[in-house]
Amino acid sequence: MRKLLVTSLAIAIAAAFVGTRAWADSSDSARVGDIQYGNALDPSGWAPLAWPDPRGFSWLHAGMMRTPSGVLYPYPPQSDDKGSPLYKDSDWVYSGFLQLGYIHQGGDTGAEFFRQYAGWEDGIALGLFALHADNPKTGQYVEFRGSRLSGDDQYYRLRAGQYGSYKIEAFYRDIPHDVTTNAYPLWNGIGSTNLTLPAPLVPGGSTPAEVAAVANARPRQTIGLTRRREGLSFEDNFYRDWTGYVSIVNEKRTGDRLWGGPMYLNYILQDNGGALETVRPIDFTTTDVSMGLRDVGTVWQFQLNYTGSFFRNHKDELDYQSPFALTNVVGVPQVANIYQGQFSLEPDNDYHNLRAELSRSLKWNGQFSLAAAWGTMRQNDPLLPPVTCTGTGGIFISPSADYTFNCADWNTSAALSQQTANARIDTGMLDAKITLHPSPKLGWHAGLRWYREDNKTNYLAFNPLTGQYGYIAENGSQGSIIPGQIGIFDPRNPLYASYVTQVRAIPFGYTDAVFDTGIDWRVSENNTFNVTYSFDRDQPKYRERKLVNEQRIKLSWVDRALGKGTLRLDYEFAYRNGGPYNYDPYAPFYSIALPGFVTPPLGNVAFTTDAMRKYDLGNRIEHKLHATLIYPIGDTATISAIAYATRDDYSAAIGRQATRNRGFDLSWDWQPSPLTSMSANLGCADSSLDFSNVADNEDATGAPGRDDPSLGGPLFPLANQWQSLDHERDYNAGLTLRHDFGRVRADFSYTYTYALGRIDYLFASPGALPITQQPFVDGVGNAFPDNHYHINTLQLGFDIAFSRMIGMRVFDLFETGSFADWHYAGLQDNLVIDHRIYTDLGPQPHYSANLIGVMLNVKL
Amino acid sequence: MTFTTRVALVASIALPAMAIGVALAAMPRFDDLRKQAPIRGDAAAGAGKAALCAACHGSDGIAVAPTFPNLAGQSATYLYVQLRAFKDGARDNAVMQPLAKTLTDQDMRNLAAHFASLPGKSAPQKAHEASRGAIVFHDGDAAKGVPPCQGCHGVDGRGPHPDPTSTAPQPAWSTFPRLAGQNAPYVLEQLQVYHDGTRVGASNDKVMQGVARNLSAADMHALADYVSGLMGSDCPCK
Repeated sequence: MRKLLVTSLAIAIAAAFVGTRAWADSSDSARVGDIQYGNALDPSGWAPLAWPDPRGFSWLHAGMMRTPSGVLYPYPPQSDDKGSPLYKDSDWVYSGFLQLGYIHQGGDTGAEFFRQYAGWEDGIALGLFALHADNPKTGQYVEFRGSRLSGDDQYYRLRAGQYGSYKIEAFYRDIPHDVTTNAYPLWNGIGSTNLTLPAPLVPGGSTPAEVAAVANARPRQTIGLTRRREGLSFEDNFYRDWTGYVSIVNEKRTGDRLWGGPMYLNYILQDNGGALETVRPIDFTTTDVSMGLRDVGTVWQFQLNYTGSFFRNHKDELDYQSPFALTNVVGVPQVANIYQGQFSLEPDNDYHNLRAELSRSLKWNGQFSLAAAWGTMRQNDPLLPPVTCTGTGGIFISPSADYTFNCADWNTSAALSQQTANARIDTGMLDAKITLHPSPKLGWHAGLRWYREDNKTNYLAFNPLTGQYGYIAENGSQGSIIPGQIGIFDPRNPLYASYVTQVRAIPFGYTDAVFDTGIDWRVSENNTFNVTYSFDRDQPKYRERKLVNEQRIKLSWVDRALGKGTLRLDYEFAYRNGGPYNYDPYAPFYSIALPGFVTPPLGNVAFTTDAMRKYDLGNRIEHKLHATLIYPIGDTATISAIAYATRDDYSAAIGRQATRNRGFDLSWDWQPSPLTSMSANLGCADSSLDFSNVADNEDATGAPGRDDPSLGGPLFPLANQWQSLDHERDYNAGLTLRHDFGRVRADFSYTYTYALGRIDYLFASPGALPITQQPFVDGVGNAFPDNHYHINTLQLGFDIAFSRMIGMRVFDLFETGSFADWHYAGLQDNLVIDHRIYTDLGPQPHYSANLIGVMLNVKL
Repeated sequence: MTFTTRVALVASIALPAMAIGVALAAMPRFDDLRKQAPIRGDAAAGAGKAALCAACHGSDGIAVAPTFPNLAGQSATYLYVQLRAFKDGARDNAVMQPLAKTLTDQDMRNLAAHFASLPGKSAPQKAHEASRGAIVFHDGDAAKGVPPCQGCHGVDGRGPHPDPTSTAPQPAWSTFPRLAGQNAPYVLEQLQVYHDGTRVGASNDKVMQGVARNLSAADMHALADYVSGLMGSDCPCK
């Protein structure tokens, strides 16, 4: 009887919803594009349509219902009970909304943080255009929504279909991303693949003063990109429980971003080398395809899905010129003039994945599911020659110490062992899960998942023209400054027969198996207990460990007996260990594994210290604690509190040693009626990372014991060890308020964000410092200057209704912020420091910007 | 200040106020019953005011003609909000509106308490539980989007049976009428006005619009016949 009553009420409540024309979004498997649409003007998306209906949620009762955990559902958005007929006697009815107006900016409108993801422009802006038409008799519908701030910041979405039958969705979207608004790139050709020096600078022949004179006169530029996304999907319930779907999404990213340009070290080699902050083009296209079949029966469920992703980079390389001359450190006449640099940019690649899932409902309210997938990732772009230099590179000391190389032997694709990459990684996955509920108070689940990533890439860096192995380092600059450090191994030449360099691609891969099981036990009406155990067995290939095991246990307790509140406590403990740790598993891919390699009398310099433990493989103990309290205050308010703490301890003398994360979030939500709502939130997050490393003893690299990897040995003395503590604390707060006065609706929001970063360090002796800093050890201190990021944003808006159809929105957005980062310290005075060229001055230290808008609201 | 100025000042304030008043007066009244609390009244005092009501609804609350509703045993709060709706113009009826305008709020509470205290009508014949009306009343018609009537009017038609342990927002149960033993012609007429969307003055009317708009004429007849046959005594909805 009671069940029947509840059922009846549910149906009655459904029938009594005040709005019959839905503006709300719904999810489906064939969705294309973004789940959330929005822009800087309307970050949450569809805000003009989201004002709560003053009639409330239901004609049956006042107020709002709560979720099972006690959170109030928001009031439904306002909607018309019925739209206007499309034409006389038409079964189709429509309704719509248009918000169009003018936006004007003032203050520091070029500030990076003000427009990082916002295409603000003075002028006409389309806040929202929404049009919905449906046919209640047939269940067919068409819906369009769009917004436009500028040509780089806009979105449009079209949906159509028939309820319970088919649906079509198409979208187009532009999203801006300004990387920096304070850039002064030196080169000509920004945005292209060829950066050339402006006159009067001479490639490889200009002094820092000459470069600075040109660089400091360059105009300020914005470096950024735009993501253009478009997609189309179709889903059809074509036969009984069977649904087919297909979707395609294309994303094109165009623009540029800050990049590098190495010409070997400059810090330790004054008036030599080169470190250049260049600008690279962005011209990517990614096309994602998804199609499949789904059968959702009452007992059996089946899904077959194919996903493909196709990345295309329309700019294959970046060529740049360095203005600085290189000088060899041995003082012989410089025979090389290396100033040409080249980057190989991201290659085109394809991804395919085929996945099948089968599920069956079991007795005891249970389910068994089995999934299998196979995938492959491939790229086979033509390979670029190792260098673009011409003439001679390297250093000529004497006929018996001739460390030169002929650029012509390396600047051609004939210098490659293969013409295309022929890279391939295959993946396989099997996943089985079972869930049973033998009683309403008890549930049990178990799962077994197996996954393999098989890397079939096998590239050998061998030059058939010279018979040498390896790759010319840093465009040939390194070998033109330091004798012999060209980057190549040659078993026939004593000068290079002991040179250690990587000669093969390392085909990283792994096989991972995870077993998990757990029970859910409802101890009493208001208390639920959950325990889960998992065992993860990872077998990486060509890594420091061949076996890594991690066991994890998670305990959860949910209590609903605290008045009307819900308290959830989670504790998680994980322990990771594994097989023996090999500090140098990469030797097979280095020249030392090739025939003809001559081990020097003093041995090879140790690859790294054997005390190093990489954080993804090393032993680790992890504790996680998470508490959530949701407490209703009367019928109209809710207080939520979340506190969490995570601690990871790594058994590593060298490497990552510990991380800590802790924080809290408090929020208060109040919706006394559909006309008024208010919320406030406060949060704090604190994280730290302890890290230790040891500097090489440069004096030991040419002495006995250089092959000793032990910490405390000649190459890695304890005196050279250092430790850093990276600490970050973030605060955020917010307040929102909105009220419907009738003809006037007001909304107010304030957000506050503050981030503080600090890096402390300790070192055992000056030997732990970079060589350039060792003479200044007394001024090194024990911390970098603090970094901070501070933003206040205030928004106030009024919607004024002149009639049922016509209204106006007036709003103001004010933002102020400050920023400090020691990485940019000193660049205000000069973007060129010795042989280092910087492009980005960094975000403005202080800014204030204001934006006002007047929009016309029209109901259609 | 001259006389002319005074007149102009008064007029400039009074005329817009009058215009707003006229506009408000012209607006149809709407009774939002979702926060309506159960009412109390003096049944004895109400009995003293019920003489005029008896002309149609009978001295014992049993209507003299089946086109009029029986009031005996009806929910007091339901009766009160209906009288208030007639008085305020939220519910349209040429006979009841002028009568209700003469009543004070306390009169309406007392009258409601009086009729609620009277025993309900005993059905002349037992309702047929296999009829179409019984099916719609108890199970609704999901295919047509018709919820079962018993969800709000009770499985026996004697008014709702709320779950006292529920923590969900509750309807104003006391504003839902009992239907058991109600006169079939009257029930049919009300279903028809809900179906046609002409009784819209209260939030409960919105609920009934959603229910009745998908009812066929035959179903409305069947429902009216069925509820009139439900036993009306011992109503728990007073």
